[in-house]
Amino acid sequence: MGEILGASADALVLLFSWEPALWDIIGISFGVSLRAILVCAPVAIVVAFLLTIGRFPGRRALVSMFNSLMAVPAVVVGLTVYLLLSRSGPMGDLKLLFTQTAMIIGQMVLAFPLLVAMSHAALQGAEKSAWETAITLGANPWQAMLTVMREVRFGLIAAVIAGFARIIAEVGCSMMVGGNILGVTRNIPTAIALETSKGEFVQGIALGMVLLFLALFLNFVLSFMQGKGELT
Amino acid sequence: MNVAVICLEGVKLRLGGEVLLDVARFELPRASCTILSGKNGAGKTTLLKIAAGLQRPDEASVQTDTGDFDWRGARPMLRRHSIYMHQHAYMFDLNVGDNVAYGLRKAGVPAAQRIERVRTALAWAGLADLEGRSARHLSGGERQRLALARARVLSPALLLLDEPTTNMDDEARQQSFFLIRRMVSEGTGIVIASHDRQMIGQLGDQHVHLADGALTSVDNASKPSRPRASGAAVQNAAEGP
Repeated sequence: MGEILGASADALVLLFSWEPALWDIIGISFGVSLRAILVCAPVAIVVAFLLTIGRFPGRRALVSMFNSLMAVPAVVVGLTVYLLLSRSGPMGDLKLLFTQTAMIIGQMVLAFPLLVAMSHAALQGAEKSAWETAITLGANPWQAMLTVMREVRFGLIAAVIAGFARIIAEVGCSMMVGGNILGVTRNIPTAIALETSKGEFVQGIALGMVLLFLALFLNFVLSFMQGKGELT
Repeated sequence: MNVAVICLEGVKLRLGGEVLLDVARFELPRASCTILSGKNGAGKTTLLKIAAGLQRPDEASVQTDTGDFDWRGARPMLRRHSIYMHQHAYMFDLNVGDNVAYGLRKAGVPAAQRIERVRTALAWAGLADLEGRSARHLSGGERQRLALARARVLSPALLLLDEPTTNMDDEARQQSFFLIRRMVSEGTGIVIASHDRQMIGQLGDQHVHLADGALTSVDNASKPSRPRASGAAVQNAAEGP
């Protein structure tokens, strides 16, 4: 127990000593996951909207598919993206394996079903009359879509935060397609896994604290947002 | 373009294998108030939404003084000239003024003009003091007047109201009647889906009844009759035997 407390104290010192190697890892983590969510979220929200408003064959099957895909383990996504990007894979010529781009692709694949499913749930909560009112007051379908999204903005923000929380903390996919290269693709979860396997707990705990703080902060924001979306 | 009259013809809609609507002619004149009555589930809301360009019928054509169109071709025109108001008018999660400004923004009205028109519309509806308040926190009567102001500010040729006085007290209802009458006198054609006998008596220039998918015009004694030969608001689709 004393050892753990000692390592935790050292971890705090390490964090606040602004050790560049440590903050590099944190920077890579945020950079990759933020870019993944920024590219992925708008597309996922529009897909969710089309699933909500559209009446086309296979719509329900698509909704069920996105709900099911949320359960795909990160390591399986990692394996799939690895096979696609590996030299002998169909996208091998792009030479993306073990780059941040590969990590972004993997994280997008991971976040997309969650974003679609949660956004769809939020948009389902919007009243059809919101859409019809926007249209009848002169909005074109694109403007009406943005209006409806604004009406359920708290649910959509919650979806984006949940998607970000999923990818910032995942280790399996990033490890496989990123390769855990120091200064390039080593992010918080892969660094923690590596340091722990080496028995170097101080850096692992320091990075774990960052992740833990982030998770608590995101959950706080999430519940705050959901509180704002109260019935009126 | 401003149309004097919009007329739906041959409106057919089946839902779940059942004929919901089979309306031969539904005339929607300007500067006139038409009451559309019918039992719950008769298809009044659906007919109003078709007239507003919000719901697609299986078949329908649209006649205006500028020509005849199929419903799909006429949909942009229907949306441009008519406004549909839900039974419980939807208020965007904005303040009262921004709700009224919504349509003006979409129409690209410049800010200065928009502010002026919003103020005028709110004064018209007796809501000038509530401009900054959240529209979600208004009473039922205030919401209804706000919805009317939000529609009027866009000067529609046609306003389609779905049960506008449901769950309103008498005072709020009279205020809504007053605003509706003013809009008719300003030249707006209004169609009201309603069971409200007081409304039928006080506002209706024409009264049409929807039953078994077909429309019949109703005379002053409130009995269904065959449509008038000319100038009738409606013509029964089920004419004949």
